[in-house]
Amino acid sequence: MEDDVSLVRAAQRGDSDAFGKLVARHAASILSVTTRMLGPTADAEDVAQDTFVAAFKSLGRFHFESKFTTWLYRIAVNRCTDVLRARRPETVSLDPTDEHGAVAWEVADEETPLRELEQAELAWELDRAIQALPPLYRESFVLRHVEGLDYGEMSEILGEHRDTIKMRVYKARTLLCQSLAHLNGALR
Amino acid sequence: MKRPDMTDSELLVQRFVDQELSAEERVRFAVQAGRDEALRSRLIELEQLALDASRLPRPAVPDDFVARVIERSAPAQSLRQRMIQFLWAPHALQWNLAGAAALTCLVAAVIWGAAGVGRFGRPAQRAAVPGSMAAETATAGNSAQTVLVRLVVLQPGARSVHVAGDFNGWNPARTPLEPSEGGAWTVTLPLQPGRYAYQFVVDGDRWIADPFAAEQNDDGFGSRNAVLDVRVLDPTRASL
Repeated sequence: MEDDVSLVRAAQRGDSDAFGKLVARHAASILSVTTRMLGPTADAEDVAQDTFVAAFKSLGRFHFESKFTTWLYRIAVNRCTDVLRARRPETVSLDPTDEHGAVAWEVADEETPLRELEQAELAWELDRAIQALPPLYRESFVLRHVEGLDYGEMSEILGEHRDTIKMRVYKARTLLCQSLAHLNGALR
Repeated sequence: MKRPDMTDSELLVQRFVDQELSAEERVRFAVQAGRDEALRSRLIELEQLALDASRLPRPAVPDDFVARVIERSAPAQSLRQRMIQFLWAPHALQWNLAGAAALTCLVAAVIWGAAGVGRFGRPAQRAAVPGSMAAETATAGNSAQTVLVRLVVLQPGARSVHVAGDFNGWNPARTPLEPSEGGAWTVTLPLQPGRYAYQFVVDGDRWIADPFAAEQNDDGFGSRNAVLDVRVLDPTRASL
């Protein structure tokens, strides 16, 4: 399988197939971040698409100072921030069953039906709690624990000092534990 | 970094969850957690949260996601480019008999008229590609505004060479060059006078600018396009 560097170089030469492979490879991660940041609305998919379109248009200015994925995450997070700033509070949807909820969720199929249901309910509760976090805590928690990034890469993406990000993750964990306390023993 | 409202034991738990403790610190922490029920509960709570977050399902990527991104990423074409693309794309036409007969009469009349003009010795026109070593001039076609331009590139060992540019919608598979002796590849294009950016596509995936083009420009993606300036020469100069 071609690595990101080879595909990016080919895309920089105008190879749209190579860029298509990059989009296919990283679409799930970017859509995951935009969905967790904006909620499962049509906005999330639009912003994920915008992220790749903006990346394509700026490919000529990408000189491999960071990983391609770091650069993509940075674009996605900045776009989400713009959308959140422009949103009025009443338009924020926290309900995954919202009629505008264009994003479907994949559930691991190896689970038993009951466990699957519990997992789905737990995921729904956790997603709702994540989306209720203040945006700065939310982005830090999502990148750290949903996407599994280290603090060094997060520092590059968010443009903040590692200690600042650690503190935001700590606050996010504390708030989430409080929000999900009622689930202890019930679902997990 | 410790917040003023964070206890030493809370800081230790957070560092444990972030896997930042040294081996010695982990041993001390395990001993402490064994004695402290509250610390143990807090640790389990945070580890469970991290585990649940890492297991959150990823949103399903719509089937047409990649296609829509690629479509939106395509550079907008000018009206002239769209017209050229339309004129060179294959189209299926449907005619009725009366229309076909009328067109036949019209074509016959035009040919008869053109033959009459030809008898008076109208000079042929030549295309000029100033300064380009790879693009050769050629005799103009029947249309006064269509110029035949021959592109030549040396690529010995190549399996295929195509040209993609403003004149064919930058389609890398539409316009093949034919191999000839000595590793040269050639194609003759009927073009309207104007300026065209183009690149050669070698073996389907290697894009190169015409190395002998008199003019090149930046393609916006870190590579160079060759620029072809197609003009119709003054007939008096062409006849020299």
